[in-house]
Amino acid sequence: MARFPSIDDCAVLHLSRLQLDDLNLERLTDSKRQQIHQLHLTNNRLSFLPPSVCFLFNLEYLDISNNTLTALPDDIMRLTNLKTFVAKNNFLDESSFPKEFERMPVENLNLSGNRFEDIPMQFLKMTTLQSLSLGGNRLKNIPAEIENLTSLEMLYLGGNLISSIPPEVANLTSLRYLVLCDNRIQSIPPQLNKLHSLLSLSLHNNLLTFLPREILSLVHLQELSLRGNPLVVRFIKDMTYDPPSLMELAGRTVKSHNLSFSLSDLPSNLVHYLNLASECPNPKCAGVYFDSCVRHIKFVDFCGKYRLPLMHYLCSPQCSSPCSSNPQSDAESEDENSVPPDRLQRVLLG
Amino acid sequence: MEQTEVMKPESLDDLIKILHKIFESDSVNVEEVQNIMESYESKPQEWMKFAKFDQYRYTRNLVDEGNGKFNLMILCWGEGHGSSIHDHTDSHCFLKLLQGQLKETLFDWPDRKLSGGMVQKSQQVLLENQCAYINDSIGLHRVENVSHTETAVSLHLYSPPFQTCQTFDQRTGHHNTVKMTFWSKFGERTPFETTVSQENN
Repeated sequence: MARFPSIDDCAVLHLSRLQLDDLNLERLTDSKRQQIHQLHLTNNRLSFLPPSVCFLFNLEYLDISNNTLTALPDDIMRLTNLKTFVAKNNFLDESSFPKEFERMPVENLNLSGNRFEDIPMQFLKMTTLQSLSLGGNRLKNIPAEIENLTSLEMLYLGGNLISSIPPEVANLTSLRYLVLCDNRIQSIPPQLNKLHSLLSLSLHNNLLTFLPREILSLVHLQELSLRGNPLVVRFIKDMTYDPPSLMELAGRTVKSHNLSFSLSDLPSNLVHYLNLASECPNPKCAGVYFDSCVRHIKFVDFCGKYRLPLMHYLCSPQCSSPCSSNPQSDAESEDENSVPPDRLQRVLLG
Repeated sequence: MEQTEVMKPESLDDLIKILHKIFESDSVNVEEVQNIMESYESKPQEWMKFAKFDQYRYTRNLVDEGNGKFNLMILCWGEGHGSSIHDHTDSHCFLKLLQGQLKETLFDWPDRKLSGGMVQKSQQVLLENQCAYINDSIGLHRVENVSHTETAVSLHLYSPPFQTCQTFDQRTGHHNTVKMTFWSKFGERTPFETTVSQENN
């Protein structure tokens, strides 16, 4: 144990890089203990949170990054004023936290560089959380319960093993900064356009080939990172086309002729099927589709910077694209405009 | 006898003084500048006042205007922040790490005939206190903080100073000209200068 230097600025205690393997603050008077609002204990040799830290009742900020913690003691619950907890680069995982941790009023939680394979259930109940970072862990997915974090403004999940984004992420309507870079994400759910407050979206180094066209409605978005994704560059022609099934063709006829139907006419599975019809996004087309649709990649300028491959469904190859293409002087758009509609085939991606 | 001593800057202020002297002449000895920048041992308390971070993207913070001969600035990179692929408008560019690490990926100028996009030439990770150099004849580069846990701070010298550069889309090689703005100057935040980022990253 090392002796700590005298405290001049009483509110902030700097005890980083002191090769500490333990810490005893019992020599502090009660009044001194109550004055401490911030404690920095980074880059030491702590394999556990020193118990006396838990008696700094007014502690609001605790940074214990770059140590060797594997778990946190139940006594951490004594820090009832803790607003910011940073424990980057330790050995923590989803079993490291006390069961009652969700009762902590923590607003900023940074646990990047640990060993989380899942987001612990306790975190998913912390409605006070404004900022959560689990970057550089081993997360395989994002649970739907993430939507409970209604105060969340910043969510950093870069550098994990995430392969898909649940649409429930879209319910985090306070979210301003969403970081999903360096993962294994293949597609973005179109519901993400509900994130009206989103200012910055980080998607670089994933497996995206296109983005949903709904992303266009994120009008406040200022930053979008897409490097290191196998984004479709050229419009892909001549791909295989799966003709619609007989059921689909019959369904389309029923819907486009506005034939009424009910459970007394049809088996319930067919009623259900007919109700699933999607409308062709082409406003000039009154058509519907069920399963067989054509994915048309449209390259659209976005944030004034990119020509993003955006995807939308059309009911058939004959249906022309709803968005008028933005005339550009480069070769790409000339290629697209010159493709006759009957050559538009379903695009195979990836 | 040749004088081969390198003036080791004792502080950031010292470094700036030495740079002013070196850049009095019109010709730039790249090795000399690189060595001097590398030999300055980064001390956070000397540059902290310039290191203003933004949550969403990297920031450029002007430190010194070099009597019009160069611009010296500090760039602050949050976790995962990266730049576009860009050129340096015919100027010398020196990049020294003050804190953390940055990955530099080099690219050749895109060939109009190649349709496969831009392929990286080489990559290096720059460590604390290392100083890299690039100019347009060497090629283009992208600079990124690939860490998800650490921020990075870098010291950049550009001579002559420039206000615009070209950014490139890696997928297509297409480029556009962007205006470069400062998040702060001489330690003071300059909010009305910054606009929405025009970079392609």
